[in-house]
Amino acid sequence: MDETQRRVDEIRKESTELENHIIDQFIEGKMTRRDLMRRGTVVGMSIPLLSFIAAACGGGNDSASTGTGGGTATGEVTAGGNVRVALIQPTTAPNPLLVQDEGGAGLLGSTGEFLSFSNSDLELEPRLAEKWEPNDDGSEWTFTIRQGVKFHSGATLVADDVVQTFEKLINPKGGSANAQSALGGVLSPGNIEAPDDATVVFHLDAPNGNFPTLVSSANYNAIIIPADLDPADWGKTFEGTGPFKLQSFTPKQGAKFVRNDAYWGDKANPDSMELKFYDDEAPMVLGIQGDEVDFVEHFSVSGGKALLDDPNVQVIAIRTATHRQVHMRTDKDPFTDKRVRQAIALSIDRAALVDGLWEGKADLGNDSPFAPVYPATDTSVAQREQDLEQAKQLLADAGASNVTVELDTWNGFEIPDLAQLIKQNAAEIGVTLNLKITDAATYYGDGVFGKSRWLDSVMGITDYGHRPVPNVYLTASLSGDPKIGVWNSAHFKNDEYDSLVQQYVAALDLDSQKGVAKQIQELLLDETPIIFPYFYNFLSAAKPNLKNAVSAATGQFDLSKAGFTS
Amino acid sequence: MGRFLLKRLGLALITLFLLGVFVFIGAQVLPGNVARRILGPFADQSAVENLNHQLGTDRPLLTQYWDWITSFFRGDLGDSLAYHVPVSSLIGDALVNSLKLAALAFVLVVPIAILGGVIAALKRDRAIDRVITLGGLSLSVIPEFVTGIMLILVFALWLDVLPVSANAPDNADPLTQIKYLLLPAFTLVLVLFGYIARITRAGTIESLDSDYTRTAILKGLPRRTVVRRHVLRNSLLPTIAVVATQTGYLIVGLVVIETLFNYPGMGRLIFTAATQKDFPLLEAAVLIVGIVFLIANLAADLAYSLLNPRIRYAAAE
Repeated sequence: MDETQRRVDEIRKESTELENHIIDQFIEGKMTRRDLMRRGTVVGMSIPLLSFIAAACGGGNDSASTGTGGGTATGEVTAGGNVRVALIQPTTAPNPLLVQDEGGAGLLGSTGEFLSFSNSDLELEPRLAEKWEPNDDGSEWTFTIRQGVKFHSGATLVADDVVQTFEKLINPKGGSANAQSALGGVLSPGNIEAPDDATVVFHLDAPNGNFPTLVSSANYNAIIIPADLDPADWGKTFEGTGPFKLQSFTPKQGAKFVRNDAYWGDKANPDSMELKFYDDEAPMVLGIQGDEVDFVEHFSVSGGKALLDDPNVQVIAIRTATHRQVHMRTDKDPFTDKRVRQAIALSIDRAALVDGLWEGKADLGNDSPFAPVYPATDTSVAQREQDLEQAKQLLADAGASNVTVELDTWNGFEIPDLAQLIKQNAAEIGVTLNLKITDAATYYGDGVFGKSRWLDSVMGITDYGHRPVPNVYLTASLSGDPKIGVWNSAHFKNDEYDSLVQQYVAALDLDSQKGVAKQIQELLLDETPIIFPYFYNFLSAAKPNLKNAVSAATGQFDLSKAGFTS
Repeated sequence: MGRFLLKRLGLALITLFLLGVFVFIGAQVLPGNVARRILGPFADQSAVENLNHQLGTDRPLLTQYWDWITSFFRGDLGDSLAYHVPVSSLIGDALVNSLKLAALAFVLVVPIAILGGVIAALKRDRAIDRVITLGGLSLSVIPEFVTGIMLILVFALWLDVLPVSANAPDNADPLTQIKYLLLPAFTLVLVLFGYIARITRAGTIESLDSDYTRTAILKGLPRRTVVRRHVLRNSLLPTIAVVATQTGYLIVGLVVIETLFNYPGMGRLIFTAATQKDFPLLEAAVLIVGIVFLIANLAADLAYSLLNPRIRYAAAE
């Protein structure tokens, strides 16, 4: 027997039914290599193992790359050095429970580590968890915790640290709002156990095929901290297990980190890493052009045009699910009739939005949360395009004439420009949109129904950050269950939709997920409670001589292998 | 003079008290609440209420204000609600930074602008007068953000002789710190030169046209002596008033320049505190602002009295 085949057979004997199912799908060509890597890591298969399977079994060809790579150029670098990073100003104290912004997430990830790292290809790389696996229906996930790991203080990581970390995060009184947005309805307090120092078992509220992603670095509050550490005190020491440890931190100015020589993995290449906080994008752009920083964690197309054209800057573009939701209240005139909602959606020239607002650095949205970057997204569903004639016909069929609506939103990012363009598009089919653009505090209000323009307005535009799986968008933004759909600005209520989402969330294999995703996509295209015009790229920048720097779409970055060429 | 100073001190304290009350009331009017600001728009309402309770911002307004004012008089400015560090440390660092930048800008712009205004007045209606007044006016109307970016492009990126930001490395020596502050200081010079020069020019022209100047010239004094001994000390009176008000702006009003040059000064601190509804930080910072303006105005009044004996004698009475 061929040695390779023998090894494959051995692997399959030791694999679970789910893992074998994934391998079968790959061999049968139902899954690309990239999908294999993504799905395989989510269910706990290691990247080296998956790479071997992919090479040994051939199988599905890769479709056009769904990821543009998340790092700088790679190669040999000189040892040591200090990497200077431009990071947007954190808005709160560095408390793992309170952080809900990119700057804060960058701080947490600078010394803290997660159970796994969600990279730019949406693969999960093991970190403090060596492996993980579900039970038969995905209602229970068992994580094997890496042994011999030390916190920077010298304490040893044990399973109870993981348990207590997550118990604090999901505590309904004082937990992390951001973490709970991902784990609410998925994991309840008291349902995490550590049968021994090396094992953590999560007992979920319901089967969930994407659970490992929800506790990875994608949930940027979920750095593992000592069980007895008060998260409010984390900012004093930045206690973690990562390849860098804190040297100094000055609020509102920056932080410095040095290599952790007791790190459990490969020691960091740089001697040190320096984070500089910036209140605005312009000085960050000037900073890298003026050689004051080596790496810009995130910049936008509109604010960083100079970098896009600068031959002395490496631009890292990662396809993400970051998007804007243009909601239309299905329970309020004129949007009670879905034909009116479809008409508005058909009036929009999405290609022009992508080119004009993002210079092509975005994917077209197709009015569902299934961004093209997700492996479960069914790309056979026809892309909605601008069709003014059909839009006018739909309005006529609905008996809607002289439609006038107030479009509420806030003056951040490119949103005012988007609102203006939607207004212009709508005017072409005879719909008048009166823009009401305020500030974020006014638009979001208290974030609850009855006290928030976001959730109460007839039509509005809201920004949503990247999630490596669409679960939160599907549930919180669109569920008709008031306990789940806390962000349901369209007041959408559809039992078939809710049932399909439940099936999607529970599905363990990619095939099943895709099958349900297709139905959800088609349903949402028909109902159109929300327009998803695009999903835009996450952009980072680096000096040309900086190699091996990694950026992830969630705002995380990994500079442990980074260095400079001579 | 002693009575004058005591009177001014008393008025200053009343002003600061009223300022503190108005800022507190104003902060309550701003939309949003502290916990919502910290946790973000998507946070659960119960989490927001819980954090508000932890921070004490759900207490009655009078209680919050009383706690703050009594702590203030004990020397305790409290902790920043957003950053959980003592307000005094945030303000201390920012104030020192702002004073450094203001001092450098002051040292550069005041002599240059006064010299420009005097020259323009002495050469009234000639080409150099036009250049100084029109050039200064043109520079003043260009937004400081634009001026700053242009200076960065030229000196930091193209010529590479100065750094892009104003934040010198830790423990940098004074000369290095000055080097880092030069670009924002030059920006301020370009922004303020025109205004101060025009005021100086107007004051100098008025002095040149006055009876005492004519008398001094008729007495046979050299023109240079007339200008130095008689014209300048009278022409600078309105300039002093202008410079005093600009001092306050230089220390606490540079939000745009501090953002552009990534400089952690008082302007950015106050702006952030206001947008985050970080009440302890905002109140303390605004009171510092008030004190700065009051000191600047008092210094201006003292300089006035030094230069103009009539004011000195009136104050003594």
